Amino acid sequence: METLSRSSRSIRVIVTTIVCALLLGGTLWGSDDDFPFGPFRMYAGVNPPNEPAPDPRVEGVTADGTVVLLDERHTGFRRAEVEASQDAFSKDPALLKKVLDAYEERNPRAAPLVEVRYVNRLHEIHSGRPTGKWTDNVLATWRVPR
Amino acid sequence: MSWLFAAVPRGRVAIFRTIVYLFAAADLVIFTPWVRGHATASADLYQPLLVARILHLPPPTSLMITVIFWALLVTALAAATGRFPRALGWTVFVLYFAWMLVAMSYGKVDHDRYAYLMALAVLPTCGPARWRDREPSERAGWALRMVQLAVVATYFLASWAKLRYGGPEWMTGSVLARAILRRGTELAHLIAPIPGVLIGAQIGIMMFELFSPMIFVVPERWRLRMVGFFYSFHVVTISMITISFAPHLVAMLCFLPLERWYDRLRRRRAAPAASVEPPIAAASR
Repeated sequence: METLSRSSRSIRVIVTTIVCALLLGGTLWGSDDDFPFGPFRMYAGVNPPNEPAPDPRVEGVTADGTVVLLDERHTGFRRAEVEASQDAFSKDPALLKKVLDAYEERNPRAAPLVEVRYVNRLHEIHSGRPTGKWTDNVLATWRVPR
Repeated sequence: MSWLFAAVPRGRVAIFRTIVYLFAAADLVIFTPWVRGHATASADLYQPLLVARILHLPPPTSLMITVIFWALLVTALAAATGRFPRALGWTVFVLYFAWMLVAMSYGKVDHDRYAYLMALAVLPTCGPARWRDREPSERAGWALRMVQLAVVATYFLASWAKLRYGGPEWMTGSVLARAILRRGTELAHLIAPIPGVLIGAQIGIMMFELFSPMIFVVPERWRLRMVGFFYSFHVVTISMITISFAPHLVAMLCFLPLERWYDRLRRRRAAPAASVEPPIAAASR
C-alpha cells in the first residue's frame, strides 16, 4: 500500500482546513464575488408566494418592424448577465448599444436594427403557482442612430 | 484523521482522472460554449471577481480567450491519457480556473462547479496511476475524499445559503414557480399548476440538502443508493428547469467504485471469448 509520510499528511490536513474555512466563511459572510468560495446561492432568494416572476429579454426591431430576440445565441450574453445590468439600462438606455454591438459582430449579415429595447415580462404567481397571466414592461428603449 | 486518508485503489483515481479531463474538453465545446462569446463582449460589462482583482488580471481580450480555449482543449485531452499527471494536471487546473474567471466575470456566477474545480485541484497530487493498478493509495484516497467533501458541501451549504438569503420561508415561497416560468420545460409547465407540488418539492429539496452529509456515515450499499438518489435529483432538475449541473455530476463519480465496474466490464468482455473453443482444438478430439 502506498502510504503518505508524516509531512505529506500534515500539509494535506492544513490545506483541507484552509479550504473548509474559506468555504464556510464564504457561505456565511461572502458573496458571488468570492468565487469559488462564495455562497452556493443558486435559487436561494426570497420569493414570496404571490410575487410576480420577472422574465426579462432584450429585443431589437428592424426597419420593417420585425422583432428580433437578442438572446444568448445571438449576442453571447446570458440572460442573467443582461439582467444584472437591468438598472443600468433603465437609467441610460444608450448602454443597450453594447448588446447591439455584440449582435452585429456575431450576425454581420442580419438586417440592421433601428431600435433596441429591454423588456421585462412579469408572470403572475398565486400561492406559489403560476396563473398563466403576464404583463410586459418596457424598461428601456434606445433608437439606433444611423 | 485516518478517514481523510482512507486508501483507495490507484485505478479508481486513474479512471476518475480520465473522465474529469475529458469533461474539461467537452465543457469547452459542448456544455459552456457561451464563454467564448465573452470575446465579443464590451469591456464595460466586465466585472472582475475578487481573485482576478487580487491577481491584477487584465480584462479578457479576444486573443486571450482564444489562446486559453485552445491551450485548455489540447492539455485537457493530453492529461486524459494519464501521462505527465502533475505537469499536465496543474496546467489544466490553472487554465480551467482562468477560463472560469472569464466565464463568471460578466455579472453572473454559476454555482455548479465547486466540486469539479476541487477535482482539478487535487488530481495532480495523486501522481502516476493506471486503470488496472489496484494498489491502495492514501494519496488517491485524500484526493477523492476532498472531491467527496466538495460535492456534499455544494448540497449542504446550498441549504445554508437558502436559510441565509431566503430564511425558512424559502420553503413556502415561489422560487420553483419562478424558475419554471423562466426556463421550465413543457413537463414542468404541466406539473406546476398542481396544488402543493412545488411547495412540497421545495421542502423536499431543503431536507435533502440538509441531510446530504449522512452519506459519510451510512454503509457502502446505502452510500451508493444515496449517490443514485443525488443523480436522480439532477435528472429531475434537468427535465423540469433545464439546469444540468454537469461539472458537479462528473465530480460526483468520486463516490463510485469505478475500478470494480471496469473490472466487471473487462471480465464480461473476456468471458464470451474464453467460452468459445478454438475450432482446431475442437476438431482434433
